[in-house]
Amino acid sequence: MSEIKIEGLTYYHGKGTPYEIKALDDINITVPKGAVTGIIGHTGSGKSTLVQMFNGILRPETGRVLLDGADIWEKPKKIRDVRFKVGLVMQYPEYQLFEETVYKDIAYGPKNMGLSDDEIRERVHGAARFAGLTPDMLDKSPFDLSGGQKRRVAIAGIIAMRPDVLVLDEPAAGLDPRGRESIFGNIMQYHRETGSTVIIVSHSMEDMARYCDNLIVMNEGKVCMQGDAEHIFSRAEFLEQIGLDIPQITKLMIMLKEKGINVNTGAYTVEQALNGMLGIYGK
Amino acid sequence: MKSIAFGQYYPADSVLHRMDPRFKLIISLLYIVCTFLCKNVLSFSVLLASALFLIIIGRVPLRIVLRSMRAVLVILLFTAVLNVFWTDGDRLLLSWKFINIYAEGIYNAVFIMIRITVLIIGTSMLVTYTTTPIALTDAIEDLLSPLKKIKVPVHEFAMMMTIALRFIPTLIEETEKIMTAQKARGADFSSGGLIKRAKALIPILVPLFVSAFNRASDLATAMECRCYHGGEGRTRMNVRHVRFADFVYLLIVIIFGAGLVYLNIFGIGYTMK
Repeated sequence: MSEIKIEGLTYYHGKGTPYEIKALDDINITVPKGAVTGIIGHTGSGKSTLVQMFNGILRPETGRVLLDGADIWEKPKKIRDVRFKVGLVMQYPEYQLFEETVYKDIAYGPKNMGLSDDEIRERVHGAARFAGLTPDMLDKSPFDLSGGQKRRVAIAGIIAMRPDVLVLDEPAAGLDPRGRESIFGNIMQYHRETGSTVIIVSHSMEDMARYCDNLIVMNEGKVCMQGDAEHIFSRAEFLEQIGLDIPQITKLMIMLKEKGINVNTGAYTVEQALNGMLGIYGK
Repeated sequence: MKSIAFGQYYPADSVLHRMDPRFKLIISLLYIVCTFLCKNVLSFSVLLASALFLIIIGRVPLRIVLRSMRAVLVILLFTAVLNVFWTDGDRLLLSWKFINIYAEGIYNAVFIMIRITVLIIGTSMLVTYTTTPIALTDAIEDLLSPLKKIKVPVHEFAMMMTIALRFIPTLIEETEKIMTAQKARGADFSSGGLIKRAKALIPILVPLFVSAFNRASDLATAMECRCYHGGEGRTRMNVRHVRFADFVYLLIVIIFGAGLVYLNIFGIGYTMK
């Protein structure tokens, strides 16, 4: 279990060229250990840039990234160790597969860590289970799998490194509803069983409301809100202003309230809404 | 990696940008010939002035033009040094052991440096900075179209070039993405010996090729869906019409070349052989 803290971080894309853009602007956040944190924001708000800071893919121009209180850039030569501790699953990670078999591909990360063959075997099997892959898939070529299965292999490739912090950038993008649910289910199972810190970036407010303990809202390279789902989704107007949405059930609650029914507009999952409604009618 | 300047087209609105790309290609060929017509101080000065004139009317910042010169600086100095040491002449300036430096050598070195510089500035101002890659391939297709008579697949070559140019930025972006993904899994591209480093490239090259082939097949399908069947009977969306001004530009370059030849007869200082 690890905690990530970011202090005064600023980052420019294409620094020193005419195309310079301020991608991240004075970010100060703490990602609590052992919790599921969601990062939401409009396209181009800096979410993906921010997650690449967590494991030292990008280096901040100013500010620090602290992993358990230690600056990850203190020894730039040791940045690989940070990447093993903070596992990052990129957007559409299925593009990263390259090995002949699924087994070998998942083993790439652990191999880079310099682990023994026995340890690698154990980790690959463990990771495959967490990612929802059946053992018979391990001998197949990753290129023969379906899109959703490839995504699972890529996620397993990160999980096999047993990172303390698992960061997933849009893990369910482009999947059908059942695929989404199943991927998130696997991630949550991993979180519960290992107690690791999980950070998820997503567009889907429904998913975020359902799975995250707390949320970070980004807009134009800045963090503009941070807190639990109820707090965030209670500010529907602000979210809509910055091009985001609120869960449909919250929208429904707000509409009911406008019609004069005294419901709790802070409800962001169907269960909460249902319980609230039952409460009103005294059942 | 995005800083790799490719197809260094510099967007601006100038005479050179508006000129018909087909004429630009012909004119730049003639301009290259012009640089080889110069023989003495007078004609080389006029040549250099013409290159500056092109930069000014092309509205490309001098800084950017000079930056492209940096790449050829080594070649430039190398040829200059060769000329200084290996030209024989009448006026000996310096003699030390087996090294003889003649005034003619210095002249030759300077002239050739000017020639190469102008050659590069001229072609890049007329073609690369002011013509989009797509307009350029279209122009090449038009100019080579007589070869269709002898069954050369000119259109297909031009289409291949267009597609290749179109996908270079995409592939660069893709490479970056894959590198990031593999770095997140602990890939190390910057340490170890040659063999280790070459091996470290496999996790990048395999996904890159896979996606390039996928893209190619998607593109082929998309083109076929729109009934693409090669160049036969195919018309352009934007048909370029030759304008009177284009012929005037062509004439100006020819007169310029003739002028340079004329200037060569004024024997001021050294005349190149």
